[in-house]
Amino acid sequence: MATEERTKEILKGLHDSVYEFEEDDAVKWAKTALEEGVDPFVATMEGIAEGMIAAGEAYNEKKYFVPELLMCADALYAGLDILKPAIEASGRQAEVKGSIVLGVVEGDVHDIGKNLVKMMFEVAGWTVYDLGKDVPLDKFVEEQIKTDAEVVGLSALMTTSMLAMPVVIEKLRAKNPKVRILLGGAPVNPEVAEKYGADGYAKTAGTAVDEAINLLKVLKEEELGE
Amino acid sequence: MMERKETMTDRERVEAILQRKKPDRVPIWPFAFAGFATVYTGTSIADAYNKPKVAYEAQKKTCEDFGWVFTPMFGYAAYGGWEFGGEIKWPSGEFAQAPTVTRHPVETEEDVWKLQKPEVSTAGIIPLMTDFYKIAANEQLDNEPFNVLAWSLGAFNTAGMIASVDKMCKWVIKKPDVAHRLLSLAADHSIDLTDHWHTLFGVKGVLPFTGEAVATGQIISAKQFEDFVLPYFMKVHGYILSLGYEHIYCHQCGEQNANLEHWAKIPYGKPGIISIGHEVELETAGRYYPNDVIMGNLEPAIIQNQTPDEVYEATKKNVLDGMTKCPGGYVFSPGCELPPMAPVENVKAMSQAVADYGWYD
Repeated sequence: MATEERTKEILKGLHDSVYEFEEDDAVKWAKTALEEGVDPFVATMEGIAEGMIAAGEAYNEKKYFVPELLMCADALYAGLDILKPAIEASGRQAEVKGSIVLGVVEGDVHDIGKNLVKMMFEVAGWTVYDLGKDVPLDKFVEEQIKTDAEVVGLSALMTTSMLAMPVVIEKLRAKNPKVRILLGGAPVNPEVAEKYGADGYAKTAGTAVDEAINLLKVLKEEELGE
Repeated sequence: MMERKETMTDRERVEAILQRKKPDRVPIWPFAFAGFATVYTGTSIADAYNKPKVAYEAQKKTCEDFGWVFTPMFGYAAYGGWEFGGEIKWPSGEFAQAPTVTRHPVETEEDVWKLQKPEVSTAGIIPLMTDFYKIAANEQLDNEPFNVLAWSLGAFNTAGMIASVDKMCKWVIKKPDVAHRLLSLAADHSIDLTDHWHTLFGVKGVLPFTGEAVATGQIISAKQFEDFVLPYFMKVHGYILSLGYEHIYCHQCGEQNANLEHWAKIPYGKPGIISIGHEVELETAGRYYPNDVIMGNLEPAIIQNQTPDEVYEATKKNVLDGMTKCPGGYVFSPGCELPPMAPVENVKAMSQAVADYGWYD
């Protein structure tokens, strides 16, 4: 069993290996964590996840860009591959902060932004139902109903595919007026999101989680008021 | 507004600006080379990319109907994937805008080292482009300052389509030698393509076009731009100009503010024609390119989504800014491709604002 001091060192190693996108180090520190008896859940949440959150902040501050974030993600998933089986074996489950259906709308295959958003939600403790790219519009509705996700995130990069967004929003609202809808992608801006009837807009992957949390807060306040 | 009398054709307007003289009014160069023209004329977006004759006639009619500069252009932003041996899908369905790569020719680092430049005359879309430009070269109308826009894209953009943008991004950090190998191939291919256009159409009436939509501040840092984008633009533009072309029309798509100091080092001709996205202010572009003609900045999403009055006001601001803040010259244009599904009343409002406020006397 690692001492408190050693545990801190291991968590810092996990954090830094993700933040500094050192994939081999992430594997090494994850194995060390298990070998030395660090709770794999703690190693994940306070080590590699914190490293990814720091990387997301660096992205928001324009210290990191997509290449760095993608490399951080590789280190994150390399560490998770080691730690996840141990977490599952322990039966411990993370507190789920929220759930989101994500996808790039029909007609559009540009998914880098969506994939980064997915990762940031996962790191933040959300359950993500990723539909991928070029997603038929009804699929968003079906998945939301199936999963009862609180938020649906729609992404588009083209001025033609963005026109699919209000169509999906209308379909979602018709089935579930309470679902919160978040938009993102290059041609979208806050005015467009409002005009299309969305609840929120995320300019970057780094701001999407905060925006979704705000949407949930409003949703819960509304529910309390009813 | 008072009706003003035009004293120049669109061709004369653009020629005057390129000779650093004032035209009678601001010309409208609408970046409507693809989907908008085919949708407006009643065919499909796919026709803009795979039916050269239909695409040419659509562009010609659209420019005539709206009173725009006609600069025939044929190409697509996902250029490179098909041309280097992969596969694309033509746009289909209600919401697709352009061809997309469905299989990249490069999967691994080893693939990059084995990859060779394609035979330029037969690669990917080039035979279709060649057919299009052969049609275009046969006539030069009064609204055509150039009848062939000799197409190529930036090496980073092309490399991103050959290998996928994700892989290029990772190689920039993890395997810079692999990234540079791919970028060198892409830049050399652009030079081959330039030679192809030069052999077929010469210099007169030909405007070389280059563009970059991947190497933006939304994707890479200014330092990465300096290391992985700038050298290849320097090489390709230097080569284009060495063939005797006087101007290069360069579309710098997306967020480029942090990259402008590097973009400004690239030669574009005398003057160059710089097309900017809505993320860059015209005044900023005018500062970085005091001797070049500036176009762009109007946000395509406004044209797509706002009311005609709002489009008119946004265009008016663009025109008034452009006329006063771009010392090297100004042409009105959206910040990227005119949205294919833009409402016609919005497009008319855009043109009307230029007609109302774009006068120099």
